[in-house]
Amino acid sequence: MAARSLRRGHPLSRSVGVSTSAGPLATARVVPVGRKPAGGGRRDQVGSLLFLAPAAIWLLAITIYPVIATFRNSVFDETATSYVGLNNYKAIFSTASILVNFRNNVIWVVLFPFIVTFLGLLFAVLTERIRWSTAFKTIIFMPIVFSATASALIWRTIFDLDPHVGMVNAAVQTASDWVNPPGLYPVNTSAGQTVAALASSGLSPGASGSLQSASTAAAGDTVELGLIGINAATLQVVGAQTAAAPSASSGAISGLVYRDFSPSHPTVRGQLFPDEVGLPGLRLTLLRSDGTGAGSTTTDQHGDFNFGNVGSGSFRVQIDAKNFGSGFTGIFWLGSQSVTPTSHLSQTAQALLSVPLVDLAMIVAYLWMWAGFAMVVIGAGLTSLNRELLEAGRVDGATETQIFRRITMPLLAPVLVVVLVTMIINVLKIFDIILNMAPGSSQGDASTLALAMYNDGFTGGIHSGLSSALAVILFLLVIPAMVSNLRRIRG
Amino acid sequence: MKPRILPIAVIGGLLLAACGTSNAPTSSSQQGGSVSLWAEWSSGEQAAFTAALSPFESQSGTTVNYSSKGSNIDTVLAAAVAGGAPPDVALIPDPGTLQTLAKQGKITDLTSILSGLSSNYGSAWNTLASYNGKLYGVWFKGANKNTIWYNPAEFAAASISSPPKTWEELIQDASTLKAAGVTPFSLCTDVGWPVADFWQNVYLKTAGADKYNQLSAHSVKWTDSSVTSAFTTMAQLVGTPSNLAGGIQGSLSNAYPACVDKVFPKAGSQPQAAMVFEGDFVATEITGNSKNYMPGTTGSGGASCTTDPSATPCYNFFDFPAPSANSANSAAIQGAGDVAVVLKDTPQSEALIKYLAGPDGAAIWAHLGGFASPNKKVPSSAYPDPVSKGIAQALVGASSFVFSLDDLQGTWEKNMWQDLLDFVKNPSNVSSIQATMDQQATAGLGH
Repeated sequence: MAARSLRRGHPLSRSVGVSTSAGPLATARVVPVGRKPAGGGRRDQVGSLLFLAPAAIWLLAITIYPVIATFRNSVFDETATSYVGLNNYKAIFSTASILVNFRNNVIWVVLFPFIVTFLGLLFAVLTERIRWSTAFKTIIFMPIVFSATASALIWRTIFDLDPHVGMVNAAVQTASDWVNPPGLYPVNTSAGQTVAALASSGLSPGASGSLQSASTAAAGDTVELGLIGINAATLQVVGAQTAAAPSASSGAISGLVYRDFSPSHPTVRGQLFPDEVGLPGLRLTLLRSDGTGAGSTTTDQHGDFNFGNVGSGSFRVQIDAKNFGSGFTGIFWLGSQSVTPTSHLSQTAQALLSVPLVDLAMIVAYLWMWAGFAMVVIGAGLTSLNRELLEAGRVDGATETQIFRRITMPLLAPVLVVVLVTMIINVLKIFDIILNMAPGSSQGDASTLALAMYNDGFTGGIHSGLSSALAVILFLLVIPAMVSNLRRIRG
Repeated sequence: MKPRILPIAVIGGLLLAACGTSNAPTSSSQQGGSVSLWAEWSSGEQAAFTAALSPFESQSGTTVNYSSKGSNIDTVLAAAVAGGAPPDVALIPDPGTLQTLAKQGKITDLTSILSGLSSNYGSAWNTLASYNGKLYGVWFKGANKNTIWYNPAEFAAASISSPPKTWEELIQDASTLKAAGVTPFSLCTDVGWPVADFWQNVYLKTAGADKYNQLSAHSVKWTDSSVTSAFTTMAQLVGTPSNLAGGIQGSLSNAYPACVDKVFPKAGSQPQAAMVFEGDFVATEITGNSKNYMPGTTGSGGASCTTDPSATPCYNFFDFPAPSANSANSAAIQGAGDVAVVLKDTPQSEALIKYLAGPDGAAIWAHLGGFASPNKKVPSSAYPDPVSKGIAQALVGASSFVFSLDDLQGTWEKNMWQDLLDFVKNPSNVSSIQATMDQQATAGLGH
């Protein structure tokens, strides 16, 4: 093309060519030049093939051969020795624990590419309009330089269950404790502890997480209430002192709340020993027989309390629920509990329809990794937009939203589709973040096709047939996205 | 994948074996000469093993050419045997390999050679080293997974003076601990293998070693009532969330060795539970958390144990208990070990195997630490502390010894782990888990 345009551009060169071809000498000089490509064609082809050979062999050895071998192994048994037909494929589509992998791939493909493209677009459009946009872009883009494994480990720590370790739970805890502070004797209900289990002697579970005396009392009576499950560290914090049996006083209900654990008699309950301590700081309410409150008080350093002048009638002493409030103790973000209600469904339906929380946590981490990439690609598209169209829109009185929706978006559509499709391919083969971020206990519920392929094929007991069948399915799933991207690139 | 890797391993094995034999000119005299020896130990363990062999070398004048093969010694050895160039003596971490080699006639019958020395080992160990009634090996090193580790200061806080000896006492102590406000157990449930080790111990203690081996070979079904009763026994402890540090959720995010740190924390934190289960290798984790941790029930300088890791903390273990109705199984032990076999019968290799069967070498390594021998003749004074002494005593006194069942399950090992995690998540769902497991075992083992 360059030569033709050169000739066209310089008519002189053509006239020179014509004049030289007239004489026989000139012909002799021209002919070898013209013959060279025709005569040496086969030799050149051989030469170029020779040069291509290393790359071609390499391609055959590491791409074509493995693809064929995978197709072959997918219809063979676990050691790739005997033919089993489509049994591996049947097993894949009939086993609930394998179908989970498809579900997770669907969750990833449905959520991630769209959110990341949207975020990329948002960041790209917004950073165009601010000062320090380079600094902002650098910060957003930075995570992509970390390896997926490193990012997964960072986010695993961020989402840790223990608020002392996990940043997300620590933030929620700080906010929650501000609104709803923990009690002096916290009972961690999410860790399987119950307030009812604290009741040891003279107590029974009361309304909404409180405890109340098992028997009724009247003026002049004494009440002894024993709690268990209170550890030595808590006793130190509250400054508990030795318990003493309460003495009766007329017109009043007096009593004691004590720790019903004696170091000298560790298995005896319901008996006050000299080495047992009272429980200070407990908020108590005196309940009438109809359940209404008749007064409230707090236990002293020895665990003693006194409701004076209670009048007639029978009462119960309630240890208020707020004494046992544990505050916020952490959400298991990396757990496999479903965010969609599926507990009433069959096992297979559960496998297909539940959305484990860990999937969403990992999607957040992956967005953090890839939003920068989407932003940069879309940003490049934005800078090459025809500004005149935007100007024209503004002159015509379009609002910024209208300009964005009617002009920027349609013009950017090809770029957005490329980002979207690239991200679909990216998450179809998602692997390393799951392997490294999901704890072992939720790994089975978070696993995707690529991870299942790896686990079945390369770790522990190896089943190359099943693993290859998964690889083939994954391959078929990626093809449409791949073809569409290739067409787009060519077009 | 396997067939493609094998040729490389064969070639590698041949090369290595060739190196081994070229250094071993056969000598007809009892003294001198050399013997080639393979084992998995490298670095620190290799140094200790070499130290244990040095009296043999100086007394017999025989040079031991030791070569470390790492954890894939089974594969390397199989390749070397197939290539016809095995070492003279090898220590293998797997009784299955011993059986295979004996069946193929590749290892020497030691029955007469060790006639005076086999009584150094209990019958459980000699049975494990035998094929068709003939003795083929010597268990030089043992590992004990029969250990529940506890923080003595936490037991003291609940006034528990001696650790539980039966499963019932363990459950009772758990409720005593809870009454004192101490969470009994830290369960390592972030991954499957510690739960598998735990379950296997419960099965061994309830059903016994014979059933254990039959279940391992899947000649007992996973739907068997013995499996059900192991699950229900285990549920007595792990089925009550308040027994576990962090409850079920906390356990499911409790990775190994973080679960050990909950009982034996680093300086600056307090223990969150009193007990944790895993094998004898937990001791390394504990002392790695703080050098202050003293083995046994007294802290450093004779002080009483403290929960504070920066004061005088301690660590100790008790044997995984059996229910009192199954007390016959209380000395059955799950673990691992290294068995020495003779692949080339030379005077030097006979002398070496006799030395390994005796107490001298083992006593040297025992003194260096990180070692337990199933050999009765190794004096208990050889062990530097009460914990390692206790671990070795349990090995010596083992009524039967089994290896980890999950490692023998092939393709469905990972499914088995997942099933056991599902059991921890939902301990009431036993029958459906058992049905799933049996299905997976049938598919995985092909019978």
